[in-house]
Amino acid sequence: MSTFLEKIRFYSAHIIFVLICINDSILINTWIAPGPIINIKYILVFYFSFFDKGRFSITFLFLVGLIFDSLQGMPFGMTSICFILLSILASYLKQRRTQTNFQNEFIAFVISLLITQITSVIILSYFSPTPFEYLLLAINIIVSLVFYPVLRTLLKVLYNY
Amino acid sequence: MSQNRLARSSTPGVSALQKTISKKFLLPFYIIISFLFLFSEKSDFKAIRFLKALINDGITYSVYIVNAPIKLISDLGGSARQYLNFNIILENKKLKDQIEQLNAEKRELQFFKNENDNLKRVLGIKNKDDYVSIYAKIIHEDTNEFAKNLILSIGSNEGVQLSQAIVLNNVYLGKISEVNLFSSKAMIITDLNSRVPVVIPSRGVNAILKGNGLAGAQLLFLPQNAVLENNDQIYTSGSDGIIKEGLYIGKIITDNKKDIKKRKYSVDLGFKEHQLNYVSVLKVKK
Repeated sequence: MSTFLEKIRFYSAHIIFVLICINDSILINTWIAPGPIINIKYILVFYFSFFDKGRFSITFLFLVGLIFDSLQGMPFGMTSICFILLSILASYLKQRRTQTNFQNEFIAFVISLLITQITSVIILSYFSPTPFEYLLLAINIIVSLVFYPVLRTLLKVLYNY
Repeated sequence: MSQNRLARSSTPGVSALQKTISKKFLLPFYIIISFLFLFSEKSDFKAIRFLKALINDGITYSVYIVNAPIKLISDLGGSARQYLNFNIILENKKLKDQIEQLNAEKRELQFFKNENDNLKRVLGIKNKDDYVSIYAKIIHEDTNEFAKNLILSIGSNEGVQLSQAIVLNNVYLGKISEVNLFSSKAMIITDLNSRVPVVIPSRGVNAILKGNGLAGAQLLFLPQNAVLENNDQIYTSGSDGIIKEGLYIGKIITDNKKDIKKRKYSVDLGFKEHQLNYVSVLKVKK
């Protein structure tokens, strides 16, 4: 029974992540702000890769990325690359630090998020003809950074890392 | 912590095959596959487009099924709220009165339409393209920092084509941006990349309406001496030859500054995002 509960607890992160990826915009736009303003999916990928490297496998991130791209009309494969990159960066930055405190973790998140978003911008500008607004992207990054401690606290309560 | 380790060690999700293939192989494999997908975006092969349309359809309908329980729960919440609304009888009476009034206006409009058609016939003016609307269910609605999309339940099987307008009760919502076999994607008017030629008939002014990526849109290329007032209505002008003319978009909101040159205009759109269930796709009648 306890193993069953552990399995549910383990996969709950996957379920939450998938549901947030496919309902991200509705959740945020309806209840929090009128626009694509927080990147919860990136926060989740970073958090679970930073604290529990094996939880989100590369295959899982690749498939969820494809689903996300299909739904959002993004170039196929862009989000998969971003998710995988973010996951690798998070686990690499975690390995480099012997002592993990919030400061180190937040700096790692800032670096990872910036690199990932820059990558997505490069991919998008090369593979997609549609232009985008840098200001909106900057707002998205800043609000995601501000929102990170809140979501992190919530996840810490749920998953005890 | 020890519990987590236990959970990780007993994870059955990581298949035996994946365990045997080292991660060193998986990582470059997925990166290469992703880039192949990306490069396929630039190719114009029919087979690749067909394969993508199939994948899109599969994902769209799977997401619809996965989301069904969540939607059901949220719909139940809405129904419960409606049931508990004690002003419902009063509201019902008001709505009935409104319907009566609208019906009267509709009859009047029909009279003017007939008169207009007769005059056109007498003057020998040809009617522009007639449109038929195809009803579509919104399967999914998605927004991110780069795009705003509605995914519709009809695709090329129903004759949907790129750039066709989507409307709700004659209110313009956006246009088709991608067509799959059994589903299609529509770009909402508030999308950053949305540009619609519009007209403000009460002032005789033409402009372009651009989405701002959030929940609104702004007017571009307004004539320098244009003066607009609150509640001036905006319609599609149809000057691009693609979108039907005369579709209602919204109304003007101004900051009412006395200096006309400093006056700023925003647009109150005629629909509310995230509250749409069904739309119509306008198709030229052949």
